[in-house]
Amino acid sequence: MLSPQPATRQHCSRSLNPLQPQRVRNLLHNLFKDHLHGPLFGKLIAIKDNISTGPSTPSLATTAASNTLRKHASPFAATVVRLLEENGALIAGKTNCDEFGMGSHSLNSAHGPVKNAYVRGGHALSAGGSSGGSAVAVATRQCWAALGTDTGGSVRLPAAYCGIVGFKPSYGLLSRWGLLDYANSMDTVGVLSRDVPDARSLFRILNRFDEEDPTSLPPSVRARLSSANAGEESDKSVGNARSLRIGVPTDYCLEELSSPVHRAWIRTLNRLQDEGHQLVPVNLPSTKQALSAYYVLAPAEASSNLAKYDGVRYGSRLQDSPSHQEAEADKSGKGVLFSRYRGEGFGDEVKRRILLGAFALSAAAMDNYFIQAQKIRRLVQADFDRVFASPNPLHTASSLSPPKPDLAEKIADEASSPHSMRSRVDVLITPTAPTLPPTIDDVRQQDPLASYTNDVFTVPASLAGLPSISVPVPLDGVAETTGRPQSRAAYEDGGWGDVRSAGMQVIGQFGDDEIVLRMGEIIEGLQ
Amino acid sequence: MTAPSNPTLRLQYRQLYQNSLRYSLLGTCLTHRPALWNQVRKSHTAITADPVPLRKQLKDEARRKKAEKKASPKSSKTLDPRLSRWELTVGLEIHAELNTACKLFSPAATSLNAEPNSHVALFDAAFPGTQPQFQKATLIPALRAALAFGCEVQRKSSWDRKHYFYQDQPNGYQITQYYEPFARGGTLTLTQLDGIETSDCPEVTVGIKQIQLEQDTAKTILQPPSTYLLDFNRVGTPLIEIITLPQIHSPTTASACVRKIQSLLRAVDACVVGMEMGGLRCDVNVSVRERGTTAEGLSEYAGVKGLGTRTEIKNLSSFKAVENAILAERDRQIAVLESGGEIEGETRGWTIGQTETVRLRGKEGEVDYRYMPDPDLGPLIIGQDLVDHLKDTLPMLPDETAERVVNEYGISAKDARTLISLDDGDRLEYTEAVVETVMQRLASLPEKQSFDKVGKVVADWVLHELGGLLTTAGVPWETQTVTPERLADIIVHLQTNQITGNTAKKLLAHYASLQPVAEAAIPSVSKIIDTSGLRLVPLTEGEYIEMAQKVMAENPDMVKAVREKGQKGKIMWFVGQMMRRGEEGRVEAEKARSYVERLLEV
Repeated sequence: MLSPQPATRQHCSRSLNPLQPQRVRNLLHNLFKDHLHGPLFGKLIAIKDNISTGPSTPSLATTAASNTLRKHASPFAATVVRLLEENGALIAGKTNCDEFGMGSHSLNSAHGPVKNAYVRGGHALSAGGSSGGSAVAVATRQCWAALGTDTGGSVRLPAAYCGIVGFKPSYGLLSRWGLLDYANSMDTVGVLSRDVPDARSLFRILNRFDEEDPTSLPPSVRARLSSANAGEESDKSVGNARSLRIGVPTDYCLEELSSPVHRAWIRTLNRLQDEGHQLVPVNLPSTKQALSAYYVLAPAEASSNLAKYDGVRYGSRLQDSPSHQEAEADKSGKGVLFSRYRGEGFGDEVKRRILLGAFALSAAAMDNYFIQAQKIRRLVQADFDRVFASPNPLHTASSLSPPKPDLAEKIADEASSPHSMRSRVDVLITPTAPTLPPTIDDVRQQDPLASYTNDVFTVPASLAGLPSISVPVPLDGVAETTGRPQSRAAYEDGGWGDVRSAGMQVIGQFGDDEIVLRMGEIIEGLQ
Repeated sequence: MTAPSNPTLRLQYRQLYQNSLRYSLLGTCLTHRPALWNQVRKSHTAITADPVPLRKQLKDEARRKKAEKKASPKSSKTLDPRLSRWELTVGLEIHAELNTACKLFSPAATSLNAEPNSHVALFDAAFPGTQPQFQKATLIPALRAALAFGCEVQRKSSWDRKHYFYQDQPNGYQITQYYEPFARGGTLTLTQLDGIETSDCPEVTVGIKQIQLEQDTAKTILQPPSTYLLDFNRVGTPLIEIITLPQIHSPTTASACVRKIQSLLRAVDACVVGMEMGGLRCDVNVSVRERGTTAEGLSEYAGVKGLGTRTEIKNLSSFKAVENAILAERDRQIAVLESGGEIEGETRGWTIGQTETVRLRGKEGEVDYRYMPDPDLGPLIIGQDLVDHLKDTLPMLPDETAERVVNEYGISAKDARTLISLDDGDRLEYTEAVVETVMQRLASLPEKQSFDKVGKVVADWVLHELGGLLTTAGVPWETQTVTPERLADIIVHLQTNQITGNTAKKLLAHYASLQPVAEAAIPSVSKIIDTSGLRLVPLTEGEYIEMAQKVMAENPDMVKAVREKGQKGKIMWFVGQMMRRGEEGRVEAEKARSYVERLLEV
């Protein structure tokens, strides 16, 4: 079932080991224990390397693809990993990714780059990032499904590039306990699978309150969400579902949007309309600032979260410098102990974002960068609240921290206006990424900032914490049957040829995860 | 031992006991140091400090006062002519460890002297993938502290990260309340009895700008020459930072202010580990301005205008250090200004025993803490019901307690303060128990008794007689064996002239020297008095007359002076002679006087 060392060739998974005696014993133990009827019984699930796997899988380190944590074996498992194991799943291994989740192509890894199964003209394509390893592992059937993390699109983008499904739930539904922080206010555990029903079943198993995670939504809020979702969930038969109002953000027709993706989007929308769903053009004017806000806020949080990797507790210290010299140098104010360790432990992209973030938080820049970006984040959230038919359940809950009065009034005014009510929608559909996956060579020649634009469509939902799924749709002129991932053998023989699908993104109101999944399934069913 | 039989007292004990129960339910830490004389107390005594440092503190205090009397040229007591030109302004930032069972953001236990790294949760060690979990119970002592200073508790406050790299800071940041502290706007009034500078008398009020909750750091232990050992037990221990307004103008008053803050925090059970044990640390900001200058061109801090440029002195760990560091920094700044220089806004350090502060870093080298709202933690919402409840159950503050015992028992204000300050209130409570018992006994006697002086007499006995015995014997208060009933017994016998003062002292010394044994095995006061024949037998009329006649016969000149010259004042001389001659305690002055007057026919 598992190949010996796929990592050496494709770098998609760092440690998808063959079944070892210990693991067989564990498996047997689990068999006769209480997981016999677990819904995930026997299913192989790969885990992105920034999610802690604990003592039950002692051979698996949790490195977040960083040299800093090269040997870090977590003493505890992430809550999501524990839930998988409790439900009978087998942890297939850890998957490669961008260091600490920072990247859009899974190239910024201490373990080497991830390669997509698809190739163009003999050149390997980007698998997307940062959960590229998880996406390739699912696409090439090395596992049944995989966990990834999504901070600005890191589950949805690789899913789109690898032709699979990637689902980022509402922020706060899946526990972050055990997830190595990148930008905590947006970090979300997501699932990658071959189809929407698989993503849904995984999501439902992982969707639990966890008191270890201070941002996990408490049961009281969950009760509100599920009552809102109940009507939708009971609608088991997708084909008979009532027609949905689909918002089409006109602001997403950016110049960066490439024509094959644009055509796939238009065709998907047309077919949905044919199926009886209603298309509604909507405005999300803050979208243009969202990307900039994201690249201020996420690095700011990253600069704070990664401060703990200073060489005192995590990672081995540099070999060539005796520790007392370091300590002395440190005492004299040169900070050699920390700065040298951090300088050598982190990769370029991580260093770039730490510097960006430290600058954004510095006393001189705070007001012009961090504070402004937070304001934009509010505007992005307000944009979404204005177009969705269902109210944002967090706003009714957070009477304690209402938005600024002027903004609140603005939102209230628009909410009560009958005109805007008519244009309200159930979900939004946009492309996941503006282009098809570039070749790895092209990415390497890009300015690092240019690759940030890959996240332009995924970042808004991250800033607002909204549920969002990427579903592959066939490109124009591609026979629908060939739009699906191909055999793993072909992958190992040098790739599958160029991609045949583009990712379509469905975004829903906060807590409308089931509606988003249903829309994803409808899109999937069009083919 | 049971609670005292007096109904008022019993009620008080029950209240205290209930307080402690509620504490436990809330999970707040109570460590115990039961006094032998009263086992009930152990349920509400919340002390972790070793008793020795307290005595040390008192000794330090005595030494400090002694040193002040010597009045070295640098002493604040001496009038430096430069001070008529320059005015000092000081603000304080005090970090105090809260008295809680667990850390601020993890369920790991707080500890004082536990084995290194034995109380460290995953989050405390900043394990990758861990998040903070705010421990609600830590709010209780924090709120009590805020209420003790009359602060306004904020319904909503929030958490921020303060970034800096240091090996004692595992996350690379400290979680604090920079933008929105949980309490604002209190005051602290200091009087002469608090030991403020004479020029500040009769009282001075210092504003509390804000109080914020934050995490403590790890302990770094240097192993010479260059090894640093880290103990993470202290990481994440809840602290409050109390920031005063820059409204203090003397080093002595500044140190008195820190002392009073510590005693208030103890009184409300918010912080029980004192400065001497590192439970309280102090930063001071110091500026100097020329008297009579206008606010123009000067600096403003926390809304206080017209101040000179200030420097900050970090990490002062004793009251003496606070006073001396401010003194030294004041003199340095004046010297700089008088020589035409400018004060730089910088951070300075102070080492005990030195005469000057040392520059640590200047403004350009200032750490940019890059404060950021903590994305893991939502706002802290504090309900008014909790605040009200804590307000209602707040223990009486030292000043209020002093006022109460002065009014109720006639104890002098000074003795009251001393009693309150000793043994974390144990001594006062003991005194109250003795006073209550004495009054009760006296009231049950057939003859009418005067209660006026009972409070003063008891305070004298507790502070000076018993206190003196214990000091001489080197016995700490909490192991002393004289119960309040026993001392009351002795005092009642003395007050009703059944024993002499000398006998009373001997009895007390006897009881104080006993080893702790079963209460029933200790003979009662009256039993010892009877078996040892200590009871005072009053003189008969014949004995008085005989003694008076004898004195008169020996001093005919004095008799003449009274009888012939009418020098009635001399009557008391005869009384005095009789008192001296009679067996100790048997001669009662009033009776002696009446017999002398009768015999001298005046």
